[in-house]
Amino acid sequence: MSSVAISVDKVIKRFGDFLAVDELSFDVYGGEIFALLGPNGAGKSTTIRMILDILRPNSGQIAVLGGPITEKKKDRIGYLPEERGLYRNIRVIDMMVYLGTLKGMRASEARRRALALLEELDLPDHANSKVQELSKGMQQKVQFAVTVLHNPELIIIDEPFSGLDPLNRLVIRDLLLKMRNQGVAIVMSTHQMNQVEELADRMLMIDKGQQKLYGEVDDIRAQYAEHAIIVDGEGDWSALPGVASVKSNGRAGIKLYLKPDVQVDDVLAAIAQNDAYRITRFERAIPSLDEIFVRVVSGNAYVENVQQTYEEAMR
Amino acid sequence: MKKIIQIAKHEYLSNLKRKSFLFAAFGVPFIVIALMVIIFALQAATETTLEELGSVGYVDYSGVLAEAIEKPDVFMPFDGEVLAQEALEAEEIGAYFVVSEDYLTTGKVTIYSPGAASEELSEAIDAYLLANLRVSLSLPSNIPTERFANPVNLTYFIMDTGREASGNSIFFAAFMLPVVFLMVFMMGVQISGSFLMAGVVEEKTNRIMELLITSVTPFQLLVGKLIGLGSLGLTQLLIWIGAGLVVLSIGAGVGLEIFTNITIQPDMLVIMITYFILSYFLLASVMAGIGAVSASEQESRQYAGILSLIMVIPYFFIMEFMTNPQGAVPVILTLVPITAPIAAIMRMSFGTLPLEQLLLSYALLAVTTVLITWLSARVFRWAVLLYGSRPRAGDIFRAMFGRLEIGVTSTGNGQREQKEVVQ
Repeated sequence: MSSVAISVDKVIKRFGDFLAVDELSFDVYGGEIFALLGPNGAGKSTTIRMILDILRPNSGQIAVLGGPITEKKKDRIGYLPEERGLYRNIRVIDMMVYLGTLKGMRASEARRRALALLEELDLPDHANSKVQELSKGMQQKVQFAVTVLHNPELIIIDEPFSGLDPLNRLVIRDLLLKMRNQGVAIVMSTHQMNQVEELADRMLMIDKGQQKLYGEVDDIRAQYAEHAIIVDGEGDWSALPGVASVKSNGRAGIKLYLKPDVQVDDVLAAIAQNDAYRITRFERAIPSLDEIFVRVVSGNAYVENVQQTYEEAMR
Repeated sequence: MKKIIQIAKHEYLSNLKRKSFLFAAFGVPFIVIALMVIIFALQAATETTLEELGSVGYVDYSGVLAEAIEKPDVFMPFDGEVLAQEALEAEEIGAYFVVSEDYLTTGKVTIYSPGAASEELSEAIDAYLLANLRVSLSLPSNIPTERFANPVNLTYFIMDTGREASGNSIFFAAFMLPVVFLMVFMMGVQISGSFLMAGVVEEKTNRIMELLITSVTPFQLLVGKLIGLGSLGLTQLLIWIGAGLVVLSIGAGVGLEIFTNITIQPDMLVIMITYFILSYFLLASVMAGIGAVSASEQESRQYAGILSLIMVIPYFFIMEFMTNPQGAVPVILTLVPITAPIAAIMRMSFGTLPLEQLLLSYALLAVTTVLITWLSARVFRWAVLLYGSRPRAGDIFRAMFGRLEIGVTSTGNGQREQKEVVQ
């Protein structure tokens, strides 16, 4: 891993009696996309605001780009808040240059970079338009361009893809990946799980201000994997050796719960040896982050439910 | 510092292009000049010239004209007002004037005329009386010397309407100048102050504030805005002063007595601009604070309106300022920071403002301005990220003097409010 971009250490934040962030610790590294997950009100925005020095923690330490945050360091951070806005009655290029200079860029440099970014985002003809003349999607792209205008080393984006159509989503995604590969640390706060699966390298899930899950996205998904496989095809699945129970999920495939001592490989071998079975799909039942999210957030209720299904199957 | 200048530049340039500014800076003086031209043209058209009057009678109670010299042919002496009035009604004369008994000390002369008397007539009376005053001087007397500088203190009595108008243009100038200054000053401070407030409210409602606040400190933002919009207000003030000087020189060139008597001393301009800068910072920083705290532009305007009402308080005491410029009320209003600019200029117009009072007024205003700007910056810092809910007075007070964090209200119902804020 490369340098530590953000280091949050046992941070606590209270608003009056309300505990918004409860002893949270995590690190974000350069060259990775880090997802900050959690339901509404979990403390995501509060955490981001503390990283950006808008709010001060009651206790704990936050280091950004190798030390406490300073005014100078804010020039190296790009931030796109969830509640977005732009000046309305001003030309796109003028606004971008102004916001760029506030990040310490020289006006000429900001202008050059802004034009290049607009080019990259398919907006070169709109540099001289007033912001209010742009469509919503275009405005979102301009907001994104403002965020990365000054070539920040750390980018923090609240809900990066909200309000974007699939095509523009791809454009932004590619840009994020490109910057990650250049070594930029990217934090995205979201509750849209498919984006995390697609993009994020590591993640932190919080709920009620507390850490719930933290680590590599793939590891976490594997950790939540059930002892089950998903197949599509023909055959009497319940008769297959090693299968404890069968659950059809329609288009999502047929889920085969395995007996505790049976390995996935054994099941595949059994299917291959028996002509009565044909498969078009075979995979481990790794839950989507959506499922994990629901499971973690709704606490034990869901887990117990799954456990119950599993135990019923075992009988 | 670099960022403050950048913010100032941006605020200056982007607001300079606003239609409302262009109208205020160029449109208003233009309309005022146009109106003045129309008014003077109309007045000139209704004035009766000396020739049209035919003969002009006069009644002298003072004795100055007893052995009159240099009497214009059209002037006819009468023995008493009754006779003159009869002659006027019989249209033997076009008008008459009465030189009062105490003329030598007061210079009091009253013109009775059926229509507005012309400048020509009053100039003729001036010249006639001045010539005869000189004769009186060679005799032993106790004539005050200012009588020569200003031989006649005219009162016009227009017969048609019974309306009395003082002809002493110096009085008019003294009365008008503070009014004009008040207007220019208020509009300058108001326009830039309200631009600042509207800008803050806009940045808050479209949430660009969050972006700004992670690039610069709230203090840099506030100071940058204050400087940028202050320069804008000053630009406007200078345009207006320029337009005013043009009007004056044109007016004086045309020979309108009103204008020839108005002289704006350079020291008065300097004092005006100094007051403008100081009280602009005072007012605008308060307005920025209000903008940060208010939920909408309409709401913020109401509070701003109260402020400007306080500023014009000295004007309600104009009689006091005219009759007794060194009295308690004018002195106090000169020293109270928010009323100081208007009060000081009014006192300078009606009399003199002692240097030590001027300096004390400056000092008090400057200290207050620094203090208020500092307090506003604290409220601003705290309130810029506060959305939706209107903070309570207690919270604002705590933000000024205590340790209330940015975008967070105090405890109590803080939790409900902080949800809106934080999430």
